[in-house]
Amino acid sequence: MTGSASATSIAAMLLLLIAAPIIPGVASRTKAILTGRRGSPVWQLYADLWKLARRGIVRSTTTTWIFQLAPIVLLTTTIVAAALLPLDGRASTLRFAGDAVAFAGLLGLGRFALALAALDTGSSFEGMGASREVTFASLTEPGLFIAFATLGVIAHDFSLSAMLADTVGRGAASAAAVPSLVMVALSVFALALAECSRVPVDDPSTHLELTMIHEVMVLDHSGPDLAMILYAGALKLGVFAAILLNVLVAASAERGWNSGAGAVVALLGGLVGMGVAVGVVESIMARLRQPKVPLYLAGGSALALFGLILVLR
Amino acid sequence: MSAFLAGLGLILAAGVAAALIRGARARAGDAVYQLLLIIGCITGGAGSIRVLTVGAPVSLTMHGAMPGGDWVLGIDALSAVFLLVIFGVGAACAVFGTHDLATERAAGRRATWFTQLSFATLLASIALVVAARTVVVFLGAWEVMAISSYVLIVAHHEEQDVRRSGLIYLVATHTATLALFAMFATWDVTAANWSFDALAAASPSLSPGTTIAVLLLALVGFGFKAGFVPLHFWLPPAHSAAPSHVSALMSGIVIKTGIYGMLRVLLLLGGAPAWWGWLVLGLGVSSGVLGVLWALAQHDIKRLLAYHSVENIGIILMGIGVGALGVAYHAPVIAMLGFAGGLLHTVNHALFKSLLFLGAGAVYRATGTRNMEELGGLARRMPLTWLGFVIGAAAIIGVPPFNGFVSEWLVYQGLFAAGQTSEVSRLAILGIPALALISGLALACFTKVAGIVFLGTPRTASAAAVTEAARGSYTPALALAAACGVLGTIPSLGIGLVSATARELAGVGTVGLPSAVTSGAWTISLVALSTLVLSALLWVTRRALGRRRTTRREPTWACAYDAPTPRMQYTSSSFAAPLLSIFGPLSGVRVERSATAMRTHAVDLVLDGMALPLWRRVHRAALRLRGMQQGRLHLYLLYVMAAVLVLLGYLAFGSRLS
Repeated sequence: MTGSASATSIAAMLLLLIAAPIIPGVASRTKAILTGRRGSPVWQLYADLWKLARRGIVRSTTTTWIFQLAPIVLLTTTIVAAALLPLDGRASTLRFAGDAVAFAGLLGLGRFALALAALDTGSSFEGMGASREVTFASLTEPGLFIAFATLGVIAHDFSLSAMLADTVGRGAASAAAVPSLVMVALSVFALALAECSRVPVDDPSTHLELTMIHEVMVLDHSGPDLAMILYAGALKLGVFAAILLNVLVAASAERGWNSGAGAVVALLGGLVGMGVAVGVVESIMARLRQPKVPLYLAGGSALALFGLILVLR
Repeated sequence: MSAFLAGLGLILAAGVAAALIRGARARAGDAVYQLLLIIGCITGGAGSIRVLTVGAPVSLTMHGAMPGGDWVLGIDALSAVFLLVIFGVGAACAVFGTHDLATERAAGRRATWFTQLSFATLLASIALVVAARTVVVFLGAWEVMAISSYVLIVAHHEEQDVRRSGLIYLVATHTATLALFAMFATWDVTAANWSFDALAAASPSLSPGTTIAVLLLALVGFGFKAGFVPLHFWLPPAHSAAPSHVSALMSGIVIKTGIYGMLRVLLLLGGAPAWWGWLVLGLGVSSGVLGVLWALAQHDIKRLLAYHSVENIGIILMGIGVGALGVAYHAPVIAMLGFAGGLLHTVNHALFKSLLFLGAGAVYRATGTRNMEELGGLARRMPLTWLGFVIGAAAIIGVPPFNGFVSEWLVYQGLFAAGQTSEVSRLAILGIPALALISGLALACFTKVAGIVFLGTPRTASAAAVTEAARGSYTPALALAAACGVLGTIPSLGIGLVSATARELAGVGTVGLPSAVTSGAWTISLVALSTLVLSALLWVTRRALGRRRTTRREPTWACAYDAPTPRMQYTSSSFAAPLLSIFGPLSGVRVERSATAMRTHAVDLVLDGMALPLWRRVHRAALRLRGMQQGRLHLYLLYVMAAVLVLLGYLAFGSRLS
């Protein structure tokens, strides 16, 4: 890893941290345009975060330290997971063999903490949300790992930097791997919608507690706590946008970015693109009935599995 | 070797001391017992550490009038790893057990010295199993271990459930021993004597058929002890019946002797054919997925933890299977990753599972129930027990920065490396999604356990009235939790602990783990460190933000309903219901509906669905033979005559038949 590469990777990391809240904004803006409404501005989440950060906190009387720790763990693990990704298209800030496992593990730790915080309130709604969240997450995880395994087989290396960055992965990705990469991209997008609690698995704009999954888990969080959770959610979308961007670039281009700066600009494009894609999906389809969600997730995983079988031959 | 023997002696002396100093002086007896046992464990552990650091195995041969030939004991790297865990976890369980039993004795329920004596015997016999180097010593120690476990399981023999669990255990363990006798007998035909060295020397000359027989018998014999599906059925009833510290030792250590046995047989045989690797990998996957799925369905916290042992044995077997495949397909790196992952998960599971059982034991002692639906809100009332339990939960679901993550990370990499090969072994990569499913389901299950038992508001009056357990209960748990944290934040420690053994198992020509993995272990430390630092920074920032604002306490939001009761909380059954319904009949949940009520209960598909029906059929067939038993002497004389005639006939004409 050269000095300039690590400089761009830090720049890309900063860009992700700053620009991530734009994704939900772009998504709702897209939705508004497609459904002919005026809608909220793109930077709505920035305003919300700013407002929440300055608010006081109301905590439930039944809660313990885990409730206070959970938003912090969620945000921290999401940030560290992002640092494992080669955001500048070259190498990640933290890179090691098998770091894909750590990536999934960190997201898992965040989810574990948030679900425990939900149960900490003793509310039946939040218990319900926690139950649904861990149920669907446990079905998302195998698909995500199949996608990682496929990318790893193509790159001959089980670290995210090799799987996603241009240097190694691109060189090895022959034309034969392109169908697999496309399938992996579709699969990751499908799973990312579930992982980030968007339609068709969950609907962040619903107002009925009984139908919520992620939102209902955080009913009792307020002020800076809620801000951290909302920000972590946006960041998670950004993380998956970065993965998708790199997979798509790997599938389309013979060579990667010549300069790290170009990759950083592309990352910004990727974040906006993710927002648009999420917004389009939310405009054209309703969320699935919950008994159908496992089928959706299995379908998404199966797509990646076909990709894996193609590269294994 | 002398350190090991001294340790063993001290542990046994501790048991005897507890048996002698009892009655009115029982408290003094407890103190002596703990002191001797802890010193014994430290002494024994020191011997193992020396073997691991020096790297040279030690052994001791006792000649002379020993029955069954010379008795040989030895400690090599494999034994040393297991001994370290045995002594460490054993000491923690013993301290917890002493305090747990003291409350029982204070309540006047029963004398405890016999349980203490049996526990010390069990601990010493496990250590002896791992150090035995001849068949006679091994099987002898194995039986002492099996019987003392039985004695401990039925400690509360006044309850019928406990007696039934004990019986199931006894049948299972003796079936296992039978298979082991058969295994050694099959092997022994060509060996010069009963020492392991002779067995190893005889291995190359074993016929292929004999090797298959030995491997399969080892898998059955040691598999019963390890408890993978479908040989796991004794495990959940036994673990829920036994006193908590015994459950902790059994789940953490005793079932691991099955893993030790398999690895020892692999070492003696010098590797296994590919089919064995595939079989073990397949058993690992099925055991892992089914174990965690069945755990989700449980209401009894100790049964639930027992099913998680089935799951984790599955993960260990996945590692061993990958390792065996690496040996069979001549890929030392894969073998190294697989064996290191499997071994390290054995160590890790011993730590966090005994930790979780000690936590569950403290809860059971405090509330008098193991039913999760009757608990809740214990985090406020037992803060230190909760701290230990939640660390154990985070460790078992395999998230950084805890130790469960490190071993799963190695197994994942073994599976992935197998996928990189050009041979059929690349199909092992399909184990990756299986392992991901296992850890996803484990996360769901431990969210349920930790959340329902410890968080929210108490569901019953007995759960509301509890106070923190005694210091002797939570101190050993917190020590185990610290070990989980240290091995998770400094993975190089654990990897260093097992790599010598993994190298031996991976066979000749192995240089060790790839440098990418050993340096990756240090990067994990960096990840852990940045997670901790970042969390601390955020905590400080939030406090700074909060200083200028108000922080209020209000009741939980219940959609403007302002009279919530504890019964309105989500229950353990409802929490697990969505996942269980996805897996349908495989989840083993039976629903009984009547006009006004519905109840679900979890059955063990193997015990209730297969083993017991089979046993009933055998019993019914055996009843038909009862007609022969008329109780009349002349009839029996007739049988004897007939038998003698048949034997004479065989002697006269048998040679012509063959």
